[in-house]
Amino acid sequence: MCAAVKHSTRGPALIPRMKTKHRIYYVALFSVVLLGLLATGVFQFWPHSIEASGDWAVEKRSAALPVVRLPSDSPVPERGDLSCRMHTCFDVYRCGFNPKNKIKVYIYSLKKYVDELGAPVSDTISREYNELLSAIADSDYYTDDISRACLFVPSIDLLSQHALRIRETAQALAQLSRWDRGTNHLLFNMLPGGPPDYNTALDVPRDRALLAGGGFSTWTYRQGYDVSIPVYSPLSAEVALPEKTPGLRRYFLLSSQMAIHPEYREELEALQAKHGEALLILDKCTNLSEGILSVRKRCHKHQVFDYPQVLQEATFCVVLRGARLGQAALSDVLQAGCVPVIIADAYILPFSEVLDWKRASVVVPEEKIADVYSILQSIPRRQIEEMQRQARWFWEAYFRSIKAIALATLQIINDRIYPYAAISYEEWNDPPAVQWSSVSNPLFLPLIPPQSQGFTAIVLTYDRVESLFRVITEVSKVPSLSKLLVVWNNQNKNPPEDSLWPKIRVPLKVVRTAENKLSNRFYPYDEIETEAVLAIDDDIIMLTSDELQFGYEVWREFPDRLVGYPGRLHLWDHEMNKWKYESEWTNEVSMVLTGAAFYHKYFNYLYTYKMPGDIKNWVDAHMNCEDIAMNFLVANVTGKAVIKVTPRKKFKCPECTAIDGLSLDQTHMVERSECINKFASVFGTMPLKVVEHRADPVLYKDDFPEKLKSFPNIGSL
Amino acid sequence: MQFWTRKSLWLALSASWLLLTLLGVFPLLRLAVSPRPQPAAPQGWPCWLDAALLRSFSQPEEPLEDAPQPPQAPHGASCSWGICFDASRCRGTGLKVFVHTAAGPTSEMHRRILASLEGSHYHTRSLGEACLLLLLLSPDAPAGRCDPDPHHWDGGRNHLVIRLHPDPCPQASQLGQAMVAEANPRADTFRPGFDVALPLLPKAHPFRGGAPGQLRQHSPHPRAALLALAEEGGRWRMAGTHSSTCPWDGRCEQHLGPEQNSPEDKLPNATFCLIPGHRTEASRFLQALQAGCIPVLLSPRWQLPFSEVIDWTKAAIVADERLLLQVLAALQEMAPARVLALRQQTQFLWDAYFSSVEKVIHTMLEIIQDRILGASAHPSLLWNSPPGALLALSTFSRNPQAFPFYHLQQGSRPEDRFSALIWVGASSQPPLKLIEAVASSQHCAQILVLWNSEKPLPFRWPETTVPMTVMEGHRKVSDRFFPYSTISTDAILSLDAHSSLSTSEVDFAFVVWQSFPERMVGFLTWNHFWVEAEGGWGYTAEMANEFSMVLTAAAFYHRYYHTLFTHSLPTAMRTLVDEAPACVDVLMNFLVAAVTKLPPIKVPYGKQHQETAPLAPTVPGSGSRPQAPHQDCINQMAAEFGHMPLVSSRLRLDPVLFKDPVSVQRKKYRSLEKP
Repeated sequence: MCAAVKHSTRGPALIPRMKTKHRIYYVALFSVVLLGLLATGVFQFWPHSIEASGDWAVEKRSAALPVVRLPSDSPVPERGDLSCRMHTCFDVYRCGFNPKNKIKVYIYSLKKYVDELGAPVSDTISREYNELLSAIADSDYYTDDISRACLFVPSIDLLSQHALRIRETAQALAQLSRWDRGTNHLLFNMLPGGPPDYNTALDVPRDRALLAGGGFSTWTYRQGYDVSIPVYSPLSAEVALPEKTPGLRRYFLLSSQMAIHPEYREELEALQAKHGEALLILDKCTNLSEGILSVRKRCHKHQVFDYPQVLQEATFCVVLRGARLGQAALSDVLQAGCVPVIIADAYILPFSEVLDWKRASVVVPEEKIADVYSILQSIPRRQIEEMQRQARWFWEAYFRSIKAIALATLQIINDRIYPYAAISYEEWNDPPAVQWSSVSNPLFLPLIPPQSQGFTAIVLTYDRVESLFRVITEVSKVPSLSKLLVVWNNQNKNPPEDSLWPKIRVPLKVVRTAENKLSNRFYPYDEIETEAVLAIDDDIIMLTSDELQFGYEVWREFPDRLVGYPGRLHLWDHEMNKWKYESEWTNEVSMVLTGAAFYHKYFNYLYTYKMPGDIKNWVDAHMNCEDIAMNFLVANVTGKAVIKVTPRKKFKCPECTAIDGLSLDQTHMVERSECINKFASVFGTMPLKVVEHRADPVLYKDDFPEKLKSFPNIGSL
Repeated sequence: MQFWTRKSLWLALSASWLLLTLLGVFPLLRLAVSPRPQPAAPQGWPCWLDAALLRSFSQPEEPLEDAPQPPQAPHGASCSWGICFDASRCRGTGLKVFVHTAAGPTSEMHRRILASLEGSHYHTRSLGEACLLLLLLSPDAPAGRCDPDPHHWDGGRNHLVIRLHPDPCPQASQLGQAMVAEANPRADTFRPGFDVALPLLPKAHPFRGGAPGQLRQHSPHPRAALLALAEEGGRWRMAGTHSSTCPWDGRCEQHLGPEQNSPEDKLPNATFCLIPGHRTEASRFLQALQAGCIPVLLSPRWQLPFSEVIDWTKAAIVADERLLLQVLAALQEMAPARVLALRQQTQFLWDAYFSSVEKVIHTMLEIIQDRILGASAHPSLLWNSPPGALLALSTFSRNPQAFPFYHLQQGSRPEDRFSALIWVGASSQPPLKLIEAVASSQHCAQILVLWNSEKPLPFRWPETTVPMTVMEGHRKVSDRFFPYSTISTDAILSLDAHSSLSTSEVDFAFVVWQSFPERMVGFLTWNHFWVEAEGGWGYTAEMANEFSMVLTAAAFYHRYYHTLFTHSLPTAMRTLVDEAPACVDVLMNFLVAAVTKLPPIKVPYGKQHQETAPLAPTVPGSGSRPQAPHQDCINQMAAEFGHMPLVSSRLRLDPVLFKDPVSVQRKKYRSLEKP
């Protein structure tokens, strides 16, 4: 006891001083613990190595699945109904409560189907089908609530018909809980048909189910109902082919497929004999040493080529049909940025409902295979490069992975059900580079609005009543004015009584705002009924009636632009490496001040609801630059420059230049420059366009009797 | 004591064993169960631990696919372009169309179609030359009389049968391998890429020109009706109004019930037009299109016209009639940007392809020409944005950037060089001074002289830094606008020998043209007007407050207009110009205005020229040009075009500091202001 106490008080020195008997005991104990740890470690990895060694895991998994036994007399669906269209065979009511114009897709849980004798109906799920279902489950389309689903995807793998027992698979489909003749069920299949006649659509009877199939022909494809999808090439994931710059390559035309009909091979070889080196016809290799994957090699005589790398050496690549119309080679060819020459009569190209294959491929009738070379020769080089770029883009966007294929398929079906929210041709087909640089003007129709419509003048005011009344009186003299709207931006003070306002010939309305914000000037008020809006400050009294009327006339000829009076310019400051605001009287303009400017009322809507980033808040916080923001917005959305009207250079004096002998308001200029830099960074680009012209009346300053001129009274500077 | 130690050691031992078991067995357990889908997983599909071990759907060791069977013998229902049409017959001469003239009674519409076909530059009168044979089934033919039996029928191969009214003949198979161009074909028998879907034309559809679209403003008027419903008896019923705030902030109130029942027989004045899907209602489609009322087609059983090339998703909405309430809600909530775009597209399509019989027929032929061209056909952009594929010739270029119309969509800019093309008329002097002035422009790339004078060529030309080419020969006036292959730039400065311009005028005008590459930018202008007394058009060169034409004696424009002038104008019009040369300016302005629907642009022209040079537009056709029935040519052109395309403008584009009271030193184009 004492010893123990002694021992314990000595602490760490305990073990070396122990008796031999105890020592053995402890050693034994620690070895046991160590052994245990080791064993655990081994066990951790043990089952994995078993799994990796063969099909054991898959077998085991199937063993764990719920088994569904299909009696031989269980119902078989009807064969596919060729007359099916969305409005006849698709139950659109199921999609009625899907929010945000997005269909909801349900995936049936995985089950094992066996026939009466207990033999499995099909192999286990393939890697690709597993990927496909995972992609759907990870997407926004997925729902796990079967009662809210609009589209159902079975977890029965139909990708390849090769391993399927047709009748039993059909029976398995028919017993799905919501099957109902296949309504709203989507089946995926890439390799349809089988020997000897190779049907171009899946042979499994499927009644009304939609088929996303690779290899449809015109007579099995139900236009607007089925979806034609690519045949996925596993090489897409295995081999990384970096994008190659477009242009003419070593071989003009390449044929790389292995199983080509001898007749077609002969024709191609005849072409090669005629045109020599420009053509390369490859075949499978016969004398490869062991261990080399034959799918990754192609041969021409005794020359061995790596596949798919060799595709990058060719400008055009033949994609001939084999027994099936859809060929995985198409995917490889697109990946290589080689322009596919598709020789497969009646083949429905993948996603042809939305993709414009004319931009990325050449389709040649089988009968014309001998003319292929001359047909391709007639395509200008520039166009070839465009097609190569497009081919690669199609692969990246729609062929690259099973996920891409699955999501494109669902998007197509989604667009049919919610056509008003559909993705446009440009979004499907234009490569990102084009989408970035192109501008789609919201007012693209060349249309000159009738003069009779007139314009609405919007005067933003705070409390300068006297000046406001003068502006109202002046503006009301403009013949085309149809309404006047005063935006009363002062919350602390009521606008003058009705009787005090000037009497004018057009309706005058006062709108009171909730907050004193500059943005209120660009709000799309209900009261604006004309397309043309004149924004005018409450102290702009120098503009003559002729000037304003002429401004409106100019706007009619350019309804998609900002039409204003004093112009301003943005300049790149090389020293400071940033943009600078310029109010000097230069030979160029890129902005107009909105102290008085005409524009389309649609831009009010854009300013209020679609202004990018925090620009609107910035403007309201700084109480400045709302006009620059509007100039940026309009130039960005239309891609067009402003129109400056008449000689007018200034409204009032805060901005007067040195010419007037007054001191330049330095802080003002700095702030304006800051705005330009801020906005340019928010827009990610400098949208403003610089021009060297302004609009004047046709006879402005011409030697012509003034009284005969339409707009004689144009003020100066 | 020993006991306690042993006991605590045993305790420790068992505790560590317990720990080990827990640590070791749980993963084991997890492994044993793991390949089963986890029932309550947050995502619907389980993540397999061993997914990489699954087999691929396509087994490389699968035996190589068998040889393909030979193409099936083509028959009517399975015909497609590659199989049933022999495009090689069109290889040499391009598309040439021969029309079988049918005997028997013909209707007015029939005659208009025939006239349109004959007016097409694809038309030929020689059967041997033709690669497409056209057969017009009479709309008045009694039912059953639809078996085509012309000579050279050849099972219908390379034939196109036009049926302007829906199915007098039920089966397409009767027509063998012939393509069928039909009004509103049934969607289920239509063979995409082979048949052509035509619009159902009303009996009084005009032959040429046609009424313009009804849209007068881009965005819908806030008080305009939201919906028009196609009713039986050809009427439209207005339902629901735009709450004026509705498109802007989505605060829409539902007005689904029919509010007023106005007997609108004519065109609907609403934002959306609901059209039922029956084929009998298909005629409403064109009405809606013309009215700028966005067609909402409820499960149409018919193929939309020209659907092969026209992207209807940009102009119409094809919705499911069963989801009517959702559709209506979606229409009310549709983003203003989309409404704007759809409305404008209806007008563009109406005007480009549907407003006259001629346009419909020419569009049909253009579609077939595109199929023959294959890779060099019109890209989709050219079909679906103004001015449309009939006015953007695919023979000019397939690259949209080469045209003046698509720079915005392509994110490109017009190039900053121009070619000067100087026309030296019969009695003109060599334009030496002019050449010097033009060649000094920094933007000038080349000078081409079209020497058409009887006088000998000058002994020496002025020294210029840019290449100069003289093309001799006795030419017709219309040759002035021939697309010469020597023209190397997009911009052309067209000049007469007696024109007088300064370098700064040229520079400024060219910079302006770069902002408006689709328009003509000129110095001297004419204006057209309606003469009530004579019931015709007139034009004048007098100074006026507005103008609608610029003289080609000094104007910038895109070289594409040379191609259009030479290859798309009817020969009759070019002959007219050759006989009355003063009309050439009118014709060129008509052509550009018909394409752009916009006025030309005027830039300042120094007064000093107007006093010295005879170019000054005192009276059209005076001066060096022979007198001609010029006042008449504007009316002849208007008749040929079917409408008056010219648009007037009231503005002139001047340099920013033009004639401003500021120091001349500041001004870039100061010589423009010389008195």
